[in-house]
Amino acid sequence: MTDTKITSKEAIMLVVTIFVSHTIVTLPQNLLSNTKSATLINLLYVGIIAILLAYVIYRLLKNFASLDIVDISQYLGGNILKNIIGGIFITYFIVSSSNLLREFCEGLHVAFFPMTSIQFVLIPFILVLFLTNSLSFSSNVKTIAIIFPIVLISIVFLFFGNFQNFSFERMFPILGKGFYDTFITGIGNIFAFSGISCLYFIPPYLKEPNKMKQIALSSVIIGLLYFLFCTATILLLFSFFVDVDEVLPLYSAASYIEFGIFFQRLESFFMLIWILEIGCYLIVTNRFSISIFQKITNLKFQKPLAMIFPLLILGISLLPKNYSIIRFLESNIYSYFIIAIIFVLGIAILLLANLKKRKEGKVR
Amino acid sequence: MNIKRMISSLFTYIPQEQYNFVLFRDTTGNQSSENKELKKDDENKTIYPSLSVNLEYVKSKYNSMINSDIIIREFTLNARGKQYSAFLLYIDGMINTDIMNKFVLEPLMLRNKSNMYDNEQNRIISEAVTNNITVRKVKKFNLADYIMSCLMPQNTVEQFSKFSKIFNDVNSGNCALFIDTLNIAFDIEVKGFEKRSIDKPENEIVIKGAHEAFVENIRTNTSLIRRSVHNENLIIENIQIGDITKTNCALCYVKTLANSDLVAELRYRLNNLEIDSMLSSGQLEQMIVDNNLISIPQVISTERPDKATSYLLDGRIVLLVNGAPYALVVPAVFTDFLSTPDDKNMRTSFSNFIKWIRILATFISLLLPGLYVAIASFHQELLPTDLLYSILASRETVPFPVILEILILEISFELIREAGIRVPSPIGPTIGIVGALIIGQSAVSAGIVSPILIIVVAMTGIASFAVPDYSFSFHLRIYRFLFIFLGYCCGFLGIGLGFLAYLVVLCDTKSFGVSFTSGISPLQKTVGHSYFLQPIWLREFRASYLDPKKHNKQEKISMKWKYPFLKEEDIQ
Repeated sequence: MTDTKITSKEAIMLVVTIFVSHTIVTLPQNLLSNTKSATLINLLYVGIIAILLAYVIYRLLKNFASLDIVDISQYLGGNILKNIIGGIFITYFIVSSSNLLREFCEGLHVAFFPMTSIQFVLIPFILVLFLTNSLSFSSNVKTIAIIFPIVLISIVFLFFGNFQNFSFERMFPILGKGFYDTFITGIGNIFAFSGISCLYFIPPYLKEPNKMKQIALSSVIIGLLYFLFCTATILLLFSFFVDVDEVLPLYSAASYIEFGIFFQRLESFFMLIWILEIGCYLIVTNRFSISIFQKITNLKFQKPLAMIFPLLILGISLLPKNYSIIRFLESNIYSYFIIAIIFVLGIAILLLANLKKRKEGKVR
Repeated sequence: MNIKRMISSLFTYIPQEQYNFVLFRDTTGNQSSENKELKKDDENKTIYPSLSVNLEYVKSKYNSMINSDIIIREFTLNARGKQYSAFLLYIDGMINTDIMNKFVLEPLMLRNKSNMYDNEQNRIISEAVTNNITVRKVKKFNLADYIMSCLMPQNTVEQFSKFSKIFNDVNSGNCALFIDTLNIAFDIEVKGFEKRSIDKPENEIVIKGAHEAFVENIRTNTSLIRRSVHNENLIIENIQIGDITKTNCALCYVKTLANSDLVAELRYRLNNLEIDSMLSSGQLEQMIVDNNLISIPQVISTERPDKATSYLLDGRIVLLVNGAPYALVVPAVFTDFLSTPDDKNMRTSFSNFIKWIRILATFISLLLPGLYVAIASFHQELLPTDLLYSILASRETVPFPVILEILILEISFELIREAGIRVPSPIGPTIGIVGALIIGQSAVSAGIVSPILIIVVAMTGIASFAVPDYSFSFHLRIYRFLFIFLGYCCGFLGIGLGFLAYLVVLCDTKSFGVSFTSGISPLQKTVGHSYFLQPIWLREFRASYLDPKKHNKQEKISMKWKYPFLKEEDIQ
C-alpha cells in the first residue's frame, strides 16, 4: 500500500512534470505563433483561467474522495461510461506521449544523431519504460522529485544565462496581433496546461487527499511561472518574424549562453537534463495509462502491461512519416484534442457526477 | 639378465596401469533424505543413565579413534565419600588446561573436605513434633545438585539432558562431564583458544575517532559494543545459523530505541536460513537482504565498534557473526554509504565540506569515463576549441577507438587494484608504482592510450577511493562500465536514460522496509536525517524513517549551560 501512495509535494512535481515536458519541445513555438509578441500577457491571462479551472476541478473532485475520473464515470454511467472514459484518457496519454517522444527524438536526431535512423533514437526511451513500469509507482515518483528541481533550475539558468542577449523591444507591440487575438482566440493557448489532466487521476495515490486544493493550485502556478520563463527566453531571444529554429527552440536558446572562454556551448548539458525530464514525462503517462487499463479490465497485476504500453507508444510515435506531419498535428489537431478531453469532457463528467450525487442526497 | 630385460622391454607390449581416481556421484537422492532423518534422531537423543553407553555413543559420534584432538578423560569422581565413574569430553586446543586442571579435575578427583563429607544421605529440611509424633521434611540426596552446588567452582555450568546441546558447546570450547547413574551431563565453560587481540581498524581510517576494531571473536565484539553503549537496555540475542557450523550470530539492539517490527523482521529472517555453514558477515549480508540482483549494498558493513554503537543509538540493529571482524548494520540508506564516523567528530562546516567532496567523488566515480566517451564521440562542441584541439592531437597517435582505449585503461586499473590487494603487503605499494607510473607512462609513449584518458581514469580511480564504503565504491565501479557503454552507444542520450533508470532502481530499492533513498528525495521530509549535518545542537531527532521508539535524541536546548536563567516553560 505504501508503495503506491505519494505525498502532496510529490504530486505537485508529478503534475508540473507534464507541463514542463511540452515546453522542451515545440510548445513555446506554438504559443508564440498563435499570439506573437503578446504571448507573455496571453500566458498570464490563460494561466489565471487555468488556475480557476484547476480550482473548479478540485471542487468537483472533493465530493469523491480518493476516486479518479474513471471511478467517477463508473458511478455516473456504469461500466459502459467507465470504459469509454478510460479508453479516451488512455488514448490521450498514449497519443500525447508518442507525439512528444517523436518530436523530442526528431530534435535529438537533428542535433546529435543525423546519421542514425529515428527508430534507434526512440528505442532507448522505450527500454527505460520497460524497466520503470516494472518497478513501484512510488519509486517512479521519487525519481521525478529528484529530477524535477534540476530541470527547473536549468530553465531559470537558461533565462538568466541568456539575459545579456535579450532584446526587450521584442515584447512590443504588447498586444501582438490585437486584443481579439490575444484574449478571445488566444484563449486556445490553454492547451499548454494539459498537465491538469493528471489532477483527474492522482486522488487515489495521495497520502493526504485533503491537500488536493494545494496540489491543484500550486502545480498550475508553478507551471505558469515555468511557461513564462521559457516563453520569455524564446520571445526575447528570437524574432518571431524570423521564426525560431524548426526543432527544440529551447535547445537553440541554450547555445547562446556563454560564460567566459571555457563554457561556450552548453546546450548538450541542457539536453542531458531534458532527456531526463522527457523520461519522467513518459513514466508518468505510462503509469496512468496502465492504471486506467487495469481499472477498466479489472486486471489484478500491472506488471504484464509493463511492456505493452511502451511498445504501443513506440508504434504510434513511428506513424507520422516526417517531422512536418508531427508539427501539423501538433499545431492544428492536438491542441483542440486536449481542450476537448481535458477541459470539456473531464469537467463535464465531474459536473454531471456531482449533480447526480446532489440529486441522490436530496432523494434520501 | 639386464640385456634380456632390455630386449624384452623393446619387443614386448606391457600395458601401462595408470592411476585414475574418479569421484562417483550418488544421483539417487537417497543420501540427503537419510541425512535429514539421522540429523533429526541426533537432535532428540537423550543422555543415558549408563556411563558406558554414553561413552560408546560419544566415541562413535566424535570418531575418537581417528579424531586426534578429541579428548575423553575417564576418572573416578568422589562425592560424599562415595565414588562414581565419570568422564570428561573436550577438544584439545580449545580449552584452557589450567582452568580444566584446577577447577574441574582437582575438585572432582582429589579427596578434600567437601567431597569426603559423609553425613546422612537424606538431609532434614524441617522437623515438627505433634502428639509425640515427629514429622520430618526430608530432602533426598541428589548427586547432580550436589556436584553442581558443591564440587564445581566454575562461573558457568549448565546441565543438559540432550546430546545435541552438549556437543554444540563442546564444539565451542566447553567441556562435558558425564557421570555414571546420571541421565544428564554437565556443560562446563573452560574456553581457552587462541584469538587475535583488539587492533586498529585497517579499512575505515578516521582522524579523530576511536582506534579500535572488531575482532573475530563474537564475545569480544559484543563486549566492545556493550562497553560503549553502557546501558542495560542493550539486548544481544544469540542466534545460531548453519546446520553444520552452527555459527553464533548476535542480534544487537537497544530495546528502548529500536522499532519492534524491525527487530522481529530481522529475527524472522535469521531464524529462517536453511544453510549448512555461515562463515562470514558477507555471506550473512547476502542471505538477509531483499534484493541480491542489483549490486547496490543494502546493509552497512563496518569494522568499527564506535560506528556500530552510533547506529545502535539511532535505533538501528547490529548483527555480529562469530569469526567475522565486521558488524552488519540494518537498515541502510543511500547517504550512510557516503558518511564516516569522523563526520560527527568534526566541526559541522568541516564535515559538510567533506560531504560535498564525497558527492562529487561519487559522480566522478560513476559517470566521468562515460561522460568522456560521450563527449569524445558525440558532443565535441561542449569542449572549448583549444581543449578539443589538444585532445584530438593527443589521440592522433592512438590506433584504437575511444571505447577500446578507455576499456584498456579501466581494466588495467582494476587489475592493478586487485593485484595490489592480493599481493603480500610489502609489495603492494610497488605494484601501484609499477602499474600506475611505469605502465601508464609506457602506454602513452607507445601510443596505446592518450594522456588525457590517463587523467580521466586516474581521476576516476582516486574518486572511487574517496567513497568511504567499500561495497558502495565497488558498486559504482561496476556501474561505471555500463555508463561507458551507454555513452559510447548513444552519447548523452544513453547517459541520461541510463541515469534515469539507475535513479528509479535506486528509489525502488528497500533495506528492511526503509526506502534506500530516504533523505535524498528532496520532497520527502525525513525528520532527523539529512546528508548534510546540522550544527550539533540542532540534531534533536532520530531518523523518522526508522520509526524509533524514542524520537528525541537530545533536548531542544541541549547546551543548557549557555542559558542558565532559562526556565523549563520557556524551553517548551
